[in-house]
Amino acid sequence: MWATNLKVLALALAVVGFYTVVANIIPQLESEVPEALALGDDVTPEQLVVAGERVFNGAGQCTTCHGLGTRAPNLLTAHAGEGAIGARCGDRVAGQDCKAYLYASLTDPGAFVVAGFGNIMLDVRRQLPEDQIWAIIAFLQSLGGDVTVTGADLPTEAGGAATPAAAGPARSTTTDPMALLQENACLGCHAIDGAGPPIGPSFDGIGGRISTDRIRSGILDPDAEIAGGFEQFAGMMPKQFGDQLSAAQLETLVQFLAGRR
Amino acid sequence: MPDVLALVQAAADTAAASGYGRFPGPGARVAVWIAAQVHLMFAAFVLGVPMFAVITELIGIVGKDTKYDKLSKEFTRLLVFAYSATALWGAVLVFFLTTLYPQFWNHMARIFGPSMWLYVGLFFVESFTLYLYYYGWERWNAGRAKWGHWGLGIMLNVWGTIVMFIANGWLTYMMSPPEGVTVAGLPEGMTTWNAIANATWIPINIHRMIANAVFGGAIVAAYAAYRFLAAKTDEERAHYDWMGYVGNFIAISTFIVLPFAGYYLGREIYEYNQQMGITMMGGFMSWLWIVQAVLIGVLFLAANYYLWLGMGRIPGAERFTPYTKWMLLVLIIGWIVWATPHTMIASREELMAMGGSHHPFLNVLGVMSAKNTAVNIMILTTFLSFLLYRRANKRPTVSWAKAGTMVQAAMFVLSTGVVIFYGIYGYFVAALVRIGFSVYQVGAVLACIIGVTVIDIALVRGAESRGAIQWGRMPERAQYALFVLAVTFTWLMGLMGFARSGIRQHWHVWEVMQDTSEFAATPALGYAANVISVCVLIFLGLVAFIFWLGGLAESAMAKSVAGPTAPIPATAGGE
Repeated sequence: MWATNLKVLALALAVVGFYTVVANIIPQLESEVPEALALGDDVTPEQLVVAGERVFNGAGQCTTCHGLGTRAPNLLTAHAGEGAIGARCGDRVAGQDCKAYLYASLTDPGAFVVAGFGNIMLDVRRQLPEDQIWAIIAFLQSLGGDVTVTGADLPTEAGGAATPAAAGPARSTTTDPMALLQENACLGCHAIDGAGPPIGPSFDGIGGRISTDRIRSGILDPDAEIAGGFEQFAGMMPKQFGDQLSAAQLETLVQFLAGRR
Repeated sequence: MPDVLALVQAAADTAAASGYGRFPGPGARVAVWIAAQVHLMFAAFVLGVPMFAVITELIGIVGKDTKYDKLSKEFTRLLVFAYSATALWGAVLVFFLTTLYPQFWNHMARIFGPSMWLYVGLFFVESFTLYLYYYGWERWNAGRAKWGHWGLGIMLNVWGTIVMFIANGWLTYMMSPPEGVTVAGLPEGMTTWNAIANATWIPINIHRMIANAVFGGAIVAAYAAYRFLAAKTDEERAHYDWMGYVGNFIAISTFIVLPFAGYYLGREIYEYNQQMGITMMGGFMSWLWIVQAVLIGVLFLAANYYLWLGMGRIPGAERFTPYTKWMLLVLIIGWIVWATPHTMIASREELMAMGGSHHPFLNVLGVMSAKNTAVNIMILTTFLSFLLYRRANKRPTVSWAKAGTMVQAAMFVLSTGVVIFYGIYGYFVAALVRIGFSVYQVGAVLACIIGVTVIDIALVRGAESRGAIQWGRMPERAQYALFVLAVTFTWLMGLMGFARSGIRQHWHVWEVMQDTSEFAATPALGYAANVISVCVLIFLGLVAFIFWLGGLAESAMAKSVAGPTAPIPATAGGE
């Protein structure tokens, strides 16, 4: 019986050993913990880029979707022939420079969903501290563009924010409708004056197509009624404008759009 | 001894200061990991085995076949020993959590306190039901009392299932806490029940119930295999051969439906948080599914190998032998396709080395269309193996036998055709449409399995026998195939435990309570595999001890039933 016992033991060890070896010879990826970076006001762009690349490939887990180009646009190399992200980020939204666009798309990604991809990304502030977000932005800028992130963008040691962006983008007080459209990235999906992506209904002639109340409810509760022909983009429009805009801003925007007949 | 006390004191001091305790050697995380995983393996065993203990007992009662009753009692004897091990490892886990992760434990106790008391209470009830069920076996073995005894078995399952559901509430809360929960506890108006009935609770409950049956079947089959190898008489060998077959049949037949429960769980994880779902399937855990495919390929091969060897003890089965090599070929091709990596997390350097986001050659085989096709055909092949095994010694006598067999063959062809058609078509449509195709593929396979089985039951009713199954005439290597199945199922359980727990990453409770200990980073698969292997070896070592105890108890009982060899005094008889 001892011989049988030994055979059973050897078999069990061989099977367990086989699986252990298989799991050890494949690429080893560890899920890192986001940690505050020791980057001061005098940090150089090069240091930010290095730190950002590490976060991008590690704790940020950005490569899960952005490295492949199947779940989200490929940020590492050229996506759809448009060039690397650092080269194209400044042209994505009219009125937003590269740095502002990247920060906004990291913290409010639902507002910048590229056509053909789902609205799957969450505000990275839920997972990463501010300094790591800025390091990622520096890294992305370095991919084909100029790095404009500086130590002044990073949060201060006291825990406050060196820039308004460190606590989220500052709340605008403007009542200029075009500025509001740009600040809130509406033109990332809606065309105006014959230009812009057709992800949402065009603002040209919108006042003639739907009522003023419908425009207002469309901003406050965008999924309540989806415009015909745009069903496939249902759920993409951010739902926070009711909290984000002041009453005056909302009414300015509604009246501006209602007047476009 | 003073050194040990100093170590314990130091650990307690550290825990109080940082919220985390220190554990000598491998550290706190590994200590809790091993305690939790081994506890879970025993828990799965003691929850899975009662399911078919009551089923086999029922078959024995209805069919008046004592063979099934004996089998059921033998299952239950293993339970009595395994139950103690489950409780012991549960206690180890609680002590480790309270001393090594005190702040986390406080958080959990604050939210789930009342359910923990209920859990302990039900554990008592479950234990005593088990003792009544096992020790009352001979006392309540006939008539209405036997039905009452069977009722105890049912209650044992009910208590065990409720206990598992409660514990599942705690662990699923860690994955998918309700909106509004903070480190301080539940928000105003939210109750413990809301925390238990969270987004992934029901899918985990279903998945675990099925997995427990699979696991219990595999371990019982391994027990039977060991007893077969140790058997000294043909009668014993026949009994344990049959027991191994039943255990394996239960394990494989329930295993086939497990992926559907897995899909449901995965879908709910995506629904709760897409990022968590993507991390699980395509993030740093993407390679885990390749390892899983390797394990499941082994399971398919070992299960089919066991069936093919089993046909050697069935008169008439030799007519099917020429087909086995083709079935083996199909299984191996399917395995290779299934284990092909595709959407793997990659760095910029790796992307450039591949010349794109995917490997230029493996890209074709690794996509979901190919993998779904491969796995469905593997399931169909295994079902065909089982069907041939079942039909081996039967000569149908119904007038429509030939037509019935033709219809069965047509069902196989049609179902394979549907699977392959959608597999190929999937390459030419968008991802969202392609995902929907898996429903048609699975539907075709399930329809085939159900349809063919229904026809087969009617077709072999009253069939002539080509000869009785010669239980016990099974080569020893078949028993080793059962060991491979049991070890693989156990390892797979450890791997899936890592997947479920690991997707929380550096959170004790997802986006509510962060792990700030030195072990917060979720380890890579190699490290995880080492810990899983240690857990599996601890579990199997203890199970081997339990098996040995089972044999010891049996021989002691056999001796006591045989009684003393001296003549019984005349006064004892009364006359």
